[in-house]
Amino acid sequence: MDYNLYSQAEEKTSTRAALNKLLHFMAEEKKNLFLAMGIIMINSGINLLAPFLLGYTIDHYVQTKQYSGVLTFSALLLGLYLIGLATRYWQTQLMGGVGQRMLFSLRNAVFGKLQELPVAFFNQNKAGDLISRINNDTDKVNQFFSQSLVQFIDSIFIMLGAGIFLLSINTELGAASLGPALLLLIFTKVISPWVKRKNAASMKSTGGLSSEIQESLNNFKVIIAFNRRDYFRQRFDEANRDNYRSALGAGLANNLFMPVFTFCANIAQLVVLAFGIYLIAAGHFTIGLLISFLAYVNSFYMPLRQLAALWANFQIAMAAWDRISRILSFRTDLLTLPAPAAAALPEAPASLLRFEDVSFRYPDGKEVLHHINLDLKPGKTYALVGPTGGGKTTTASLIARLYDPTEGEVLLAGKDIRSYTPEERSAKIGFILQDPFLFTGTLRDNIVYGDAQLESLSREQLEAVIAGAGLSHLLERFEKGLDTEVAATGDSISLGQKQLIAFIRAVLRRPELLILDEATANIDTVTEQLLEDILQQLPAETTRVIIAHRLNTIENADEIYFVNAGNVVNAGSLDHAMHMLLHDKRES
Amino acid sequence: MNKKTGQEGTPPPAKPNMLVLLKPYSRMLFMLLLFALLSNGLNLVLPKIIANSIDNYTAGHWSFRDIILEFSVATLLIFVFTYLQSIVQTFASERVARDLRTSLSAKISRQSYAYIQQVNPNKLLTNLTSDIDSVKMFVSQAIVSIVSSAVIIIGASVLLLSVNWKLGLAVLTIIPLIGVSFFVVLKKVKALFVKSREVVDWLNKVINESILGAALIRVLNSQQPEYEKFIGASTRARDLGISIVKLFATLIPIIVFVSNMAILTILALGGHFVINGSMTLGDFAAFNSYVAILIFPILVIGFMSNVIAQASAAYQRVHVVLHAPETAETGALSVPPHGNIRLEGITVRYGEKAALHNVSFDIPAGSRTAVIGPTAAGKTQLLYLLTGLLQPDEGIVLYDGRPIADYNRESLLQQTGMVFQDSIIFNMTLRENIAFNTRVTDEAMDKAITTAELKDFIHTLPQGLDTVVSERGTSLSGGQKQRIMLARALAIRPGILLLDDFTARVDPHTERKILQQVQNNYPDLTLLSVTQKISSVEQYDQIILLMEGELIAAGTHTELMQRCPEYVQIYNSQRSTSYYEAGQATV
Repeated sequence: MDYNLYSQAEEKTSTRAALNKLLHFMAEEKKNLFLAMGIIMINSGINLLAPFLLGYTIDHYVQTKQYSGVLTFSALLLGLYLIGLATRYWQTQLMGGVGQRMLFSLRNAVFGKLQELPVAFFNQNKAGDLISRINNDTDKVNQFFSQSLVQFIDSIFIMLGAGIFLLSINTELGAASLGPALLLLIFTKVISPWVKRKNAASMKSTGGLSSEIQESLNNFKVIIAFNRRDYFRQRFDEANRDNYRSALGAGLANNLFMPVFTFCANIAQLVVLAFGIYLIAAGHFTIGLLISFLAYVNSFYMPLRQLAALWANFQIAMAAWDRISRILSFRTDLLTLPAPAAAALPEAPASLLRFEDVSFRYPDGKEVLHHINLDLKPGKTYALVGPTGGGKTTTASLIARLYDPTEGEVLLAGKDIRSYTPEERSAKIGFILQDPFLFTGTLRDNIVYGDAQLESLSREQLEAVIAGAGLSHLLERFEKGLDTEVAATGDSISLGQKQLIAFIRAVLRRPELLILDEATANIDTVTEQLLEDILQQLPAETTRVIIAHRLNTIENADEIYFVNAGNVVNAGSLDHAMHMLLHDKRES
Repeated sequence: MNKKTGQEGTPPPAKPNMLVLLKPYSRMLFMLLLFALLSNGLNLVLPKIIANSIDNYTAGHWSFRDIILEFSVATLLIFVFTYLQSIVQTFASERVARDLRTSLSAKISRQSYAYIQQVNPNKLLTNLTSDIDSVKMFVSQAIVSIVSSAVIIIGASVLLLSVNWKLGLAVLTIIPLIGVSFFVVLKKVKALFVKSREVVDWLNKVINESILGAALIRVLNSQQPEYEKFIGASTRARDLGISIVKLFATLIPIIVFVSNMAILTILALGGHFVINGSMTLGDFAAFNSYVAILIFPILVIGFMSNVIAQASAAYQRVHVVLHAPETAETGALSVPPHGNIRLEGITVRYGEKAALHNVSFDIPAGSRTAVIGPTAAGKTQLLYLLTGLLQPDEGIVLYDGRPIADYNRESLLQQTGMVFQDSIIFNMTLRENIAFNTRVTDEAMDKAITTAELKDFIHTLPQGLDTVVSERGTSLSGGQKQRIMLARALAIRPGILLLDDFTARVDPHTERKILQQVQNNYPDLTLLSVTQKISSVEQYDQIILLMEGELIAAGTHTELMQRCPEYVQIYNSQRSTSYYEAGQATV
């Protein structure tokens, strides 16, 4: 399956459909949103009422010199302002909270989706770009909802009110004054997709920049050792320039709204002035009404100008949301099939794992395994040997169902491996990967990682379990034992030590099938003998699949398979395997 | 953990000041403010035009054309100025961000490996992306708003005082009140912003590890624990966000309320003055309109305070990196070393633990030396010392009798080719991955590719050397990656080749062939090879046995077999297969 986030032509999503999907994340906030809406209305009410009261007081009490009346109304205003203090506090807190919680669930949904997707997804996308989507893009969505939405609603309320006022005072003049607003509506509608595209391009290059930094900083030692600090600067500058250009494009597009909106607001004033005076001349209107009409036109177009800025934010948020929903739209292609009916199963299958005519091709189309048949029996040790690039790791990955075969079937204990749940499968199959990976934390964190039972053990219990598996000697090689600190990146511990930890982690789980993919390649041969002994002590029914280049690692194997150019053949004896390895034509 | 480089806890030399950062852009900012003031100023003219035209109409001498003309010109000018302002604003903010990124990356590129590891690439990523974005936001949104707001506030204040200084003073007491509440709240907010930036680093780390460890997570079916780990960081981010929102939810209403108090003061006190006759009704009306002018910019500053607080917290983080002492050192000696290497009393400590302890040995130019030893013996650290990736805590590394620090980095590194143990492949074409240094000629690259046995593999690729390798090299096998690493090191035609266990993922046949070719094609090479396999290094001039950071023995294979029991033990552990490996020599 194609998991590349940039590969397909950008499908056009209608803003409404995108918005609906997004509102889904606000479902739990409905109550809060309604509450906030109510408070915003109260607030707007106070904002309109206060100036009115002020004017009333001046007209009725200051001018008539009744100071007691002034004091009464001052007290009234004070009360109103106090209510405003409370409602404004409430409103900001409520909407801010809604925004933060929405951002929270959005971020989690994207990360959760990443966990759901198969390894293939990660091979096709860059870490930096994914980080940028989870952090920057969700934040852009949040910024609109937590900061701009309140102003958005506020502005629309005021505009609507002013619009109704305008039309009710004089329909003709009102309609004329709203004409430029109609132009704006058309302008906005036409220009918005372009603005959104500009923002999408800018976010894409931000993702690219982030990938660039990510890659260079994580591989900094090569850059230093090959004296290519200039290379880092140069590659970065290129990404930075690209980012600059596209951000400039997006910025210019976003900033187009404000001048145009201001322009239309001014034109509306001119229309009112000219048309108004014409009406006055014709005797249909009065100067007093014209003055107040001009004020109302202002209170219609002022919030509209605010909307201009908010609309740009809205386009940014929608472009960001597109990038996020692109990830969310992916589905894993490694689904769990329904388990076959019990009767359909052969009784006590003789093989633990079978490949039946399995072929595999990567999404780029190159077939890397051709019609493989394999039969792994319980309790046996199998070795896969062959030149690099021959398909050994791919075979192992199919056993652990990191991918599904493109043709043929993999059977685990007689049942299609796809019918096992991930829990069942990972309990049965242990896989020590070629590149050992450790999470930042302690050695203990890493070996109990992801296993609820091991995690629940006390220190003493865990040590006992480790001793029971014969792993204590390995643990002793770490100065601080279980408390040794390790980091995911960097060189705090050596590759050989990482392999030891990965080995302990896999063996502790007692899988039925244990795959070692060059798992001891960087461990010295004396320690390797120790590992060999530990593997021998595994329960009698444990099946081992060992991929290795060192011959002493595979000499105890029950069967040796020679993997070359996507074909797997039984090599028979070690002698014969060696012969093939040394003399056969290799294609790698 | 990572080696301390000593600058932790050292305060940045100067207090971070964003305004200093903006100095080089003063001309642009000047234009920005000019356009902003022009368009805002013209906006004040429009009501005047309207008022005049109404007055003229009532007075009877009204010209329709003049009004349209005046108004249209003003409107068009406003349009032009606001548009120019927005253009300059975009350019200024993007340029500040771009230049800040460039200087930050240039700074990072001059730092040592230890520094990058200590500061942590995840944090540097946040510095270069979201932190700088915050600064950019400050330039694009805050500067114009704040300056024009300040101008309006000052102007309105002067007007208020000139109309009635007693009432004016009373009204203006709101400004210090607002100032104090800003100060108190923003101080708290800034601390929270700094914290929330740290949480972003944390989030990045969890995401990053979950991507790098994607295969492992799927093998162990540990997606749920990963998700929970993320929720931990995400919850913290949410809680901090809500705390910040709460502070702003306090600040903004207080400012609005205080401003409203100004209106109330005018009504109550001004009303009193009018009633007792010490103030005219006209002045009273003027006061009310001036206060209306005064309050809006105060609110704008309130909203912008959020942007300022974020930006200054972000800039503080950037500033620390920007002003950290540079740890990558370079000497003046620009003669490439010939290849006589000498280590004297080298000790390297990680915390209390010594990774290497008092290690001394010599490598004569043109000789072949192997380093053998169990995991965590300090083998890799030896190679890092020789390339300057690591500085010894004690002792000295000498090239041709001169300390490594004397050498210009360039001339030293063009002489040393390093093949790392872990495969590091960049998301570029194979050609760029191999010719990683620009000085590499086609001829040198071709020779390196042949030597590393990559010719056949590259031939199978439809795009050959121009094939783009995916990030982290996921499209390549382990052995292919290792051979690319070797070709990369050989392509710079080094005089000294440092191999870190590079044949671990290559089948024995290919390994033997590659080593033979290295010897044939690069005969004068000084070779230092860290390895696990004795059979491939039996013929070497010197074998060094390291264990737990100590040099146990050094000598030829024969010598070590005679006098070093540890070596014999390692040898025995590999003997069972030496029959095959020996057999290969005759192939």
